Amino acid sequence: MNHPGCIGIVPMGVVPPVVPKVIAAHISGFLNLASTVLNPLRNPQYALDDQRLQYDAATILETMGNQSFPGVDKIVAILNVDLFLPVFSHVFGEARQHGRVALVSICRLAEEPVENGQLSPTTLERTAKVALHELGHLYGLIHCENHPCLMHFSGSLEELDQTPLHLCPYCTQYFRDETGSPDHV
Amino acid sequence: MKNKLNIMVVDDESIVRESLYHWFIKSGHTVDTAASGFEALEKLEQVPFDILFVDIKMPGMDGIELLKKVKSAYPDTIVIIITAYGSIESAITAMKTGASDYLLKPFKPDYLSLVLEKVTRQQQLADEYNFLKGHIERITRFDNIIGQSPPMQEIFNIIPDIAESDASILLTGETGTGKELIARAIHAKSPRAHCPFIAINCGAVPDSLLESELFGHLKGAFTDAAYSRKGFLEVVNGGTLFLDEVGEVSPKMQIDLLRVLEEKEITRIGSSEPLEVDFRLISATRRNVEEAVEQGDFREDFYYRINVIRLHVPPLRERIEDMTLLVNHFLQKYSQDTAKRVDHVSGETLEILKKYAWPGNVRELENAIERAVVLAGSRTLTAADFSFLSPALRPAKGARTLKEMERAHILEVLEDCAWNITRAAGVLGINRVTLHKKIDRLDLRASRK
Repeated sequence: MNHPGCIGIVPMGVVPPVVPKVIAAHISGFLNLASTVLNPLRNPQYALDDQRLQYDAATILETMGNQSFPGVDKIVAILNVDLFLPVFSHVFGEARQHGRVALVSICRLAEEPVENGQLSPTTLERTAKVALHELGHLYGLIHCENHPCLMHFSGSLEELDQTPLHLCPYCTQYFRDETGSPDHV
Repeated sequence: MKNKLNIMVVDDESIVRESLYHWFIKSGHTVDTAASGFEALEKLEQVPFDILFVDIKMPGMDGIELLKKVKSAYPDTIVIIITAYGSIESAITAMKTGASDYLLKPFKPDYLSLVLEKVTRQQQLADEYNFLKGHIERITRFDNIIGQSPPMQEIFNIIPDIAESDASILLTGETGTGKELIARAIHAKSPRAHCPFIAINCGAVPDSLLESELFGHLKGAFTDAAYSRKGFLEVVNGGTLFLDEVGEVSPKMQIDLLRVLEEKEITRIGSSEPLEVDFRLISATRRNVEEAVEQGDFREDFYYRINVIRLHVPPLRERIEDMTLLVNHFLQKYSQDTAKRVDHVSGETLEILKKYAWPGNVRELENAIERAVVLAGSRTLTAADFSFLSPALRPAKGARTLKEMERAHILEVLEDCAWNITRAAGVLGINRVTLHKKIDRLDLRASRK
């Protein structure tokens, strides 16, 4: 059921099937937006940095930005590889403000390496938080100074665990204005 | 949301510029980028930036050279150097050259966030410091003291000379004459201007508390001493201490202060360790100190120590020619403060204000103008706006003879009756002929309006 305003969730490479479902449920529950899980894409080998053995998030965003995803407005791509941006050691996720594509990596969010598709509830919640946070950037939200806000910047797992899944009143209003519907959030 | 900063990323690698550009944009800042030091300097000429993130290794002009140029031309701009692990030596050089911090590539995103927060806080503190410094300079400015009368001109002329010296000054004069303003002006003109100016009203602080306030105390030195505390004599170090109402200082405290002035040392209460202090003393009193010395209420040795230079501030009634200037100054001040357009005082009202004795001097005048402006119903203040002064409205102390009293009273009634002789004669209880005779004899004339 693809329709305008819908968020497309795209697994890339080997991603446990539960992750896209959890993210879709959180998008619906916390942002009140429609979403759909799209067919998986291959691991973005083109973005692998041979020296750092990490994947360049900027390159993936640029490549996916040129790809066509009919029927959806925004894309949340889920990966199980270590993402980085030049100058940064790593990133949990990446998106450009008002962009079309957001990336989320479960690689550093899991306590242990992801094997046999089993993820702890904590890891799933962290993944959902990063996905919703990056989605907020796609709708123009910026990092928020309020600690109890989804858009507060979390640089570590400890901070991420303290960050709530909901937006503060200011960011909620901004998100409503951006999505154009008073029913959202 | 965060305070919005204007950031420039200077790096020859476009991928680095792009990464940081988007990261800062997502944090709500305004961001620009430059591919070289030359481009950065060109952009700085056009727009002011709060923070520059500069890569240390760039072709042409490297990060250190750019840092030097930025710090020389725009010292308030914060520069953070980005460097690789291999070039830590350059980072140290950068810090010595004026960089606020450095980042070793690749760094964790939260580290960048932390550095940004830290330097922003530093900038805020610097801005607050500059604001407060400017505010203090404004309130201690020489031109805050208003007066064109000869006694005030004499004071203005002497302030620059006595400000240069370190000698103790004794300011005498009635309450409300502006002794503290003059003390502040002396401090502001002195080589100690950039150190603290601390004012203590000795008459308002009990003797036991004054000792603790001045000398400080150690934790446990007395019952309520829960913490160690520096005294004003320690805090004022390098600056000026203003002791208002010094005539109220107890004989014991006079001895303690005398010792400090002679030895330039203090000892905190509860401590035996002397501390060196350096300050200039300006004292003020409304009492006749010489009389107090004669009566044994004030120590002679302390008096000579604080009275190296003597300055007398005249009461307002002795410089009545400054009234118009002062009234206009306070009128402008309180019109601005209260956002009320009250910018004029009628000539008749000004004459009434000049006749009033002003026992509270300039301070009383200021309060009266403030009250009148707050309650004023029109742009021009009239006698009715100062009706609260009338119970005390009396001829100035200088006019004491019966003839002067008679003259002032008849003139006041004539002014009140707008020089209508019949009405004025009725109010005075005399006939018109007698009033005409008195006007001639006392040489009374209507004031110009």
